[in-house]
Amino acid sequence: MLDILTSFYGLIPVTIAQSLIVAFVVLGVMLPFRILNFPDLTSEGAFPLGGCVCGTLISMGINPFLACGVALACGFLAGCTTAFIHLRFKINTLLAGILVMTMLYSINLRIMGRTNIPLFTYDTVFTILAGPSANISWVKILIVGALIALVVGLMLYFFMSEKGTSMRAVGASPDMAEAQGINVGIATIMGVGAASALSATGGSIMVQTQGFVDVNMGFGILINGLAALIIGEAITGRQSIRRQVLAPVVGSIVYYQLISFCLTLGLAPADLKFATGAFVLLMLALPNLRKSGGPTHIREKVRE
Amino acid sequence: MTTDMLAVTGGTKIFYRGTLDERRALDGLNIALKPADFCIVIGSNGAGKSSFLNAVSGKLPLDAGRITIDGQDVTKLNAHRRAQFIARVFQDPMIGTAPTMTIGENMLLAELRGKPRGFSYGLTAPRKAKYRDQLAELNLGLENRLDMPVGLLSGGQRQSLSLVMAVSTRPKLLLLDEHTAALDPRTAKLVMDTTVRAVEELKLTTLMVTHNMEHAIKYGNKIVMMDAGKVLLEIGQEEKRGITVSDLIDRFHTKSDAIALQGS
Repeated sequence: MLDILTSFYGLIPVTIAQSLIVAFVVLGVMLPFRILNFPDLTSEGAFPLGGCVCGTLISMGINPFLACGVALACGFLAGCTTAFIHLRFKINTLLAGILVMTMLYSINLRIMGRTNIPLFTYDTVFTILAGPSANISWVKILIVGALIALVVGLMLYFFMSEKGTSMRAVGASPDMAEAQGINVGIATIMGVGAASALSATGGSIMVQTQGFVDVNMGFGILINGLAALIIGEAITGRQSIRRQVLAPVVGSIVYYQLISFCLTLGLAPADLKFATGAFVLLMLALPNLRKSGGPTHIREKVRE
Repeated sequence: MTTDMLAVTGGTKIFYRGTLDERRALDGLNIALKPADFCIVIGSNGAGKSSFLNAVSGKLPLDAGRITIDGQDVTKLNAHRRAQFIARVFQDPMIGTAPTMTIGENMLLAELRGKPRGFSYGLTAPRKAKYRDQLAELNLGLENRLDMPVGLLSGGQRQSLSLVMAVSTRPKLLLLDEHTAALDPRTAKLVMDTTVRAVEELKLTTLMVTHNMEHAIKYGNKIVMMDAGKVLLEIGQEEKRGITVSDLIDRFHTKSDAIALQGS
């Protein structure tokens, strides 16, 4: 038991660094789901898109900061596309997300020209900022932590600003938002775009810490993000916009420690996705399980 | 002659055009309201009352005809662009407010209706103070609960809040879509009294759809009875004085319902 705990303890810094990177994706999952009421799967494609764009540019000798910026912009466009498809052609948001995600796979392959690119020999944001200590977990935690703190701060400010309040209104009640003079379409496109930009940023940071890009990176990241979001919300609650924006970061950190703990306990990595899926399913089903026996409404809104 | 605050000329909206189900929701509708007119719209189900209100608010773009508000042609403007002139209270208390947002945030959304929204902080202290004053007039205690999510309020409280949100910006046109129909009689009266007080105090040009004939007679200075997408009858202030509920019901046409039944 003691050696399990020791190895878990040893993994804590690595896991924190990873969870802070994924926190970008969790924020990107939270924004459409919770703020805009727009269940969105684009993150699953935007995360590798950010990685592929950033990695390819870095391997071409482009400045890593610029590469991250381009990755962010590409993610934004991907999210805008999903929202546009939904709004213009009245295609279900989930289906629109799957369409974009699937098409992005080909785009990612086209961008890279092959299935993976090693980045070990190139300068990254981390080597530029921290030099030779770039590979130390605590250094990564410091850099990514500062960035996520900045993003969370900006998001909190934005959602309490005049523009941000109206974006939240679009998710809370689109009819009311329109009646208050808010352009629902533009707000939705901008919001979903921003969410995918966050996921792509996560991808671009991920490839720089792991030292390679793979076109299959981040398979299942959306469910991980959703699980982290649910855990985070269970801890922080959702009563205020502050709690709602903090939940993804808290949830990501806790979720990845839990995963790490399960793995050191002996859970086979192959079973991880099943376990995560089962966990998300259970959390979503729980409110309905409790009231079983009562009449079920046929037209009850689909959960989440 | 003063300019009309609202003028609809030849307003036409056809659903399912060119199919067997073709239905003229609005059929050459003409209505004009002077400033501070409080017009009650009545009519049987399917007469086109909701289509009329939706056409004015911009939710339902017209197929033909023209709509002006205070002399300005708004026919081509989207609903969110027309919101600078129009405030609306919906029948469903759940639609008119954002349930997951706080009372203060809802008031903020209403205050910025039709105005440019910037990146500056939304709920500032002066704004909160102003909202408290505006809400205090309701006597519901909402002024002490600015940070409470609107979803926790009762239907009547939410509808009262909707009303304050709608009138506090002094819109050129106030649309009330059976806004007391979903409330219990006592709350309905409370909301109705507040409505009348606000409309008269602020001299708001108002369109109110109702199925309540007593309300139609008691409130406002004008009754418009609609049928089959047209104005069937217009009753002005003078004529309105002597009228009774049964007079109104006698004049009710059920043509549109008959069509609806045959069609189904």
